[in-house]
Amino acid sequence: MTPSSSYPPAVEVSGLPGAGGVVVEVSALSAEPLDVVGLLSRSHHPGAGAVVLFSGEVRDSNKGQAVLGLEYEAYGPLAEKLIGEILAEAREKWKLHIAVAQHRVGRVVVGDSAVVVITASAHRSEAYAANRYIIDRIKHEAPIWKCEHYADGTKEWGNNCNCHSVTGDIHKHIYESDPTQQP
Amino acid sequence: MKIHVYAGLKDYFQSEFELREEIANTDELRAVLVKINGNAGPLLSTCRFAVEEGFIDKNFKLNSHDTVVIIPPSSGG
Repeated sequence: MTPSSSYPPAVEVSGLPGAGGVVVEVSALSAEPLDVVGLLSRSHHPGAGAVVLFSGEVRDSNKGQAVLGLEYEAYGPLAEKLIGEILAEAREKWKLHIAVAQHRVGRVVVGDSAVVVITASAHRSEAYAANRYIIDRIKHEAPIWKCEHYADGTKEWGNNCNCHSVTGDIHKHIYESDPTQQP
Repeated sequence: MKIHVYAGLKDYFQSEFELREEIANTDELRAVLVKINGNAGPLLSTCRFAVEEGFIDKNFKLNSHDTVVIIPPSSGG
């Protein structure tokens, strides 16, 4: 992977007890293009029969408008801390061997990965559930924002989490994944 | 009190600025900011606040030396 020059390594990806374990460390935020293949290649564990990778990638359209790319901004210290906590909770809840998350900041072009989540566990059900839990919480809670840059030269901060309009609380969210999976 | 804002809030305020008023909590801070730029009101009503890299709620007692980060709803991913 290409480490961020702006953010220090902050997320220990896998706490693997015993010999033969693999510890992968990545920054939760990266100002450089995400090395999806490189992250995956480092995310294997002898106890994991399932590895799930999610890559959120930049689409070429939004609300019917052609998109050139996105620009991501983050409140770095809190985003790093929060993503670390989310990964730790997921590792504990699903007994994961590996949990990795890395999100881009800065300009991201169409087709590039904006966020990667990798989970590895003994069986696939845990890896799938944990992966979805992690990306749901990052999208709703991490202080990270996207600005759409359109082909017509305009730009727009948008697609904000709107859960508060239903929950009545800006700190409470509705997740796409099974709500019974939330801690 | 130092204020940092992000994302869409930068359409209404400088990314970093200072307030001299005595401000006790986030409700008062929100009201002061709406006075500065009323157009920011709807977005401010949905924002979270943070001090020292942790989210705070409306009961948190703000101090004049605090740096308050105002956090619009997330839109990562």
